[in-house]
Amino acid sequence: MGVRIIQNERAKGEKAMNFFEKITGSDMTKSFRSFESRAQNLPADYQEAWEQIKTHFWPYSDFTGRNLMPIFDGVLGLLEEAAADGQSIQEVLGDDIEGFCSALAGEEGAKSVRDKWREQLNPNIARKLRKL
Amino acid sequence: MLEKLTEMLKGVLEGCVLEMISRNETYGYEITRRLNALGFTDVVEGTVYTILVRLEKNGLVEITKKPSELGPPRKFFSINDAGREELRKFWERWEFVSSKMNELKGRRP
Repeated sequence: MGVRIIQNERAKGEKAMNFFEKITGSDMTKSFRSFESRAQNLPADYQEAWEQIKTHFWPYSDFTGRNLMPIFDGVLGLLEEAAADGQSIQEVLGDDIEGFCSALAGEEGAKSVRDKWREQLNPNIARKLRKL
Repeated sequence: MLEKLTEMLKGVLEGCVLEMISRNETYGYEITRRLNALGFTDVVEGTVYTILVRLEKNGLVEITKKPSELGPPRKFFSINDAGREELRKFWERWEFVSSKMNELKGRRP
C-alpha cells in the first residue's frame, strides 16, 4: 500500500517534469550541445553545410523543435560516415541542400509552417463557401 | 540527355535501392557507388539517405550498426519479408509501365 503511494507520487513527479520539459524544451539543450560538438569534429565544408541544413529545417520545427532532434541526429550520422569515407560535401549532398532538406522533412513527416497554414486555410475556405 | 533524368528516376530509385539491398546487406555509400557505376552518375549519397529513411519508416529493411575501421559505426541495411513483398510489387509495376511505354513507342506512325 505504502509503496503504491510513493510510486504514484513519483509518477506525478515525472508527469510534471515531462510537462515542464515539453513546454520549455529544457531537456533538449543537452542533445543540442552534443550535436554541435559532433558537428565541430567535421571538416570545414561539412560544417558550413550543417549550418545551412539547420537553417532550412527551422520552418519544419514544432513549438520547441523536438520533432527535429531525431532528424538532426540522423543527418549528423550521415555526415560523419561520409566524412570518414573521404567524400567532399559536394559529393554527398550535390548542389541542392534545400532540396535534400525538404525531401528529408517529407520522409520524416515534419510539416512546415506553410503546410500547417494551408491545412487550416482549406477547411476554412470550404466552410465559408458552403455558407454562400 | 541526362538533364531530366533525376526527375524521371524519382519514382524508381526506391526500387533500385531495395533491389540492391535484397542481394546483400549493404550501406548507403556502397549503394550510391553502385548506382553511379550503373550509369546514374548524378545520384549522391544524400539522395540515397532520404530513400533509406523512407524504407526504414515503412518497415521494409532491418538495420544493424557495425563498427567501422575509420569513423563512426556504419548502418547496414538488409531486406525483410515485407521488403521482399514490396520489391516483387515494384518489379510488377515496372514491368507494366515499361511494356506500356514500349507499346506506345512501337505504335508511332
